[in-house]
Amino acid sequence: MKRKLLGVIDATTYHEDLEDLLTHRSLAALPFAGRYRIIDFVLSNMVNSGIRSVAIFPKMQYRSLMDHLGAGKNWDLNRKRDGLFFFPSPFVDSDGNRIGSFEHFAANMDYFYRSTQEYAIIANCYTIFNMEFRPILDWHRHAKCDITEIHHQDGSSMEMYLIKTSLLIKLIETRHESGYTCMKDIVTAIQNDYSICHYKYNGYAVMIDSIENYFSTSMKLLESDVWKQLFLKDQPILTKVKDEPPTKYIKGSSVKNAMIANGCFISGTVENSIVSRGVKIGKGAVIKNCIIMQKCHIDENCYLDSVILDKDVKVEAGTQLTGTIRSPYVIRKGTRQGALMNS
Amino acid sequence: MVKKKCVAMLLAGGKGSRLNSLTKDLAKPAVPFGGKYRIIDFTLSNCANSGIDTVGVLTQYQPLLLNSYIGIGSAWDLDRKDGGVTVLPPYSESSEVKWYTGTASAIYQNLNYLKQYQPDYVLILSGDHIYKMNYESMLEYHIEKRADVTISLIEVPWVEASRFGIMNTTDDMRIVEFEEKPSNPKNNLASMGIYIFSWNILKEYLEMDDRNPDSSHDFGKDVIPLLLEENKKLFAYPFKGYWKDVGTVQSLWEGNMDLLGEDCELDLFDQDWRIYSVNPNQPPQYISSDAIVKESLINEGCTIEGEIDKSVLFQGVTVGKGSIIKESVIMPDATIGINCLIEKAIVPYDVKIPDGTVIRSFDDEIILVTEEMLSGLYPTY
Repeated sequence: MKRKLLGVIDATTYHEDLEDLLTHRSLAALPFAGRYRIIDFVLSNMVNSGIRSVAIFPKMQYRSLMDHLGAGKNWDLNRKRDGLFFFPSPFVDSDGNRIGSFEHFAANMDYFYRSTQEYAIIANCYTIFNMEFRPILDWHRHAKCDITEIHHQDGSSMEMYLIKTSLLIKLIETRHESGYTCMKDIVTAIQNDYSICHYKYNGYAVMIDSIENYFSTSMKLLESDVWKQLFLKDQPILTKVKDEPPTKYIKGSSVKNAMIANGCFISGTVENSIVSRGVKIGKGAVIKNCIIMQKCHIDENCYLDSVILDKDVKVEAGTQLTGTIRSPYVIRKGTRQGALMNS
Repeated sequence: MVKKKCVAMLLAGGKGSRLNSLTKDLAKPAVPFGGKYRIIDFTLSNCANSGIDTVGVLTQYQPLLLNSYIGIGSAWDLDRKDGGVTVLPPYSESSEVKWYTGTASAIYQNLNYLKQYQPDYVLILSGDHIYKMNYESMLEYHIEKRADVTISLIEVPWVEASRFGIMNTTDDMRIVEFEEKPSNPKNNLASMGIYIFSWNILKEYLEMDDRNPDSSHDFGKDVIPLLLEENKKLFAYPFKGYWKDVGTVQSLWEGNMDLLGEDCELDLFDQDWRIYSVNPNQPPQYISSDAIVKESLINEGCTIEGEIDKSVLFQGVTVGKGSIIKESVIMPDATIGINCLIEKAIVPYDVKIPDGTVIRSFDDEIILVTEEMLSGLYPTY
């Protein structure tokens, strides 16, 4: 069966406002929803839409992203033909001189030249959504536009584009003459030679570009209508699988309105929170409105409210940490947070 | 093929009839256990963690799900270039189809599989028990004792000794006598059904046993006594640790309950001895504001709106509002409606419990919920 669509994930974006969580990792690898990384959403959507060739263009700290993706086995993309392609950028941004995504694509033209798929979907890596792309491809072909840009319900751009592969190649090859450094440049240009159509997506879709909306979008996961739109049985969000045991609830624990991943050992209280795998919550500890990433240890009698703990954080017994919903308290990866520390 | 020092043969052909409806369409080693696993995951993980990378799995009864579950062994790190896991079903030779009639004949019929690897030692296991064991230590012991066969033994309570194959040994742990289910046991060291054979001995005695028309071709009943008769060097390897036969509805339930509590004997959280399995890949579990979870083990994909007390819930289980699950085992993708009460029961995979159902045991016998039972409660079911 000849495949019509290939996927390009532009993972070169960096959002400064997420700095505290991105010191060791690229945005695409940002943990989300207890057991996923942000890129899992767009990647799974591509695979669920029948796409078997996906090229990922990361930038800077891509070690954890590369480790997460591997050869693509978890997304059924470790194939003899096509499959997952990982193209780290040879360029380093200098201050004030953002390199457009076309430059990154240009460094790997062979991928595009060798592709047999007629169309390409170019997407960002930081949208939380569950979408089938095939209806949009049909719409695009029907509408006979050069480029289809996908929009949110409110009209703002989702920064996802459908385009003929041959046209994409031409755009990349002529980027210096045209001055267009990325897809966004073309669709926002006042005048250009291409017909741009807009497809409105009415489903749930949120772009993560700040600590505040990372936090609020995570909390939205606790609402069943959001949950039901993101985690569909027929279109599952795939991710790297870990061998964690089921979560153990110890006598004295109390958990309400929480999303808990596997491998956790819970002896304390958890409310309105997202808890990732392998987290240990000690007796008497109270976690409210928090996002706790993998392998954190929260010792006895701690009190955490509106806090984001990055991976491998150890919070010593009796520590109290309070943030706000607008401005959650973020603790960086690997920190050992003591009760008497005041930062 | 590359020569291997030790190849494992995992006997997974058993019917497990005492698990009733759970094994009607499913081989016993594939029965779900521990919230996430299947019984065979423990033996396979032990092999992987012990550095044994070549495992033959002998299937026979209802092998469809078991075979596809094992696949090429990637889940247990057994998808290897040389060796790895091989599923060995019975096959027909030029003259006849030969089913596996006994544990020894099953191995005997697969000597060609073993011959490929020219092993020095063969480890014989069953896929029926829940335990963690480093087989490499047992192998080192076998080599040190210059044994022909080493049998792993575990101390059982004296009152239960008559249910097992009991070994009598010298101080040096050399086995001098073997009694199958003795009415007056002289010892409380029971055979775990784990054997390490030196290759030549295995070949010789399987051939000898095969030639005997009166033999039932069983390791415990026929081959071991034969080896003792011939004065071969059999040594006992004492095992200390959790070991559970989960072959009855009651013991399967007990084994699951053993996993609850803060300091349980079988630690699934031990990073140094992980239990691998085919991961279900579902979203994290969701515990609602109405839910109450006490002393339980819950896997991913569950949606809990009721009360869970001292129970084990597998992946994808839904528990409706107002329902209470107590001291029960709920297997994958089962759905419990609202306002139910399930106490001291095992609910098999995919079963839907209608709203308002009450299933509870009044004596201590664990109830295995079946479709017949539900259609009895709800005639239009």
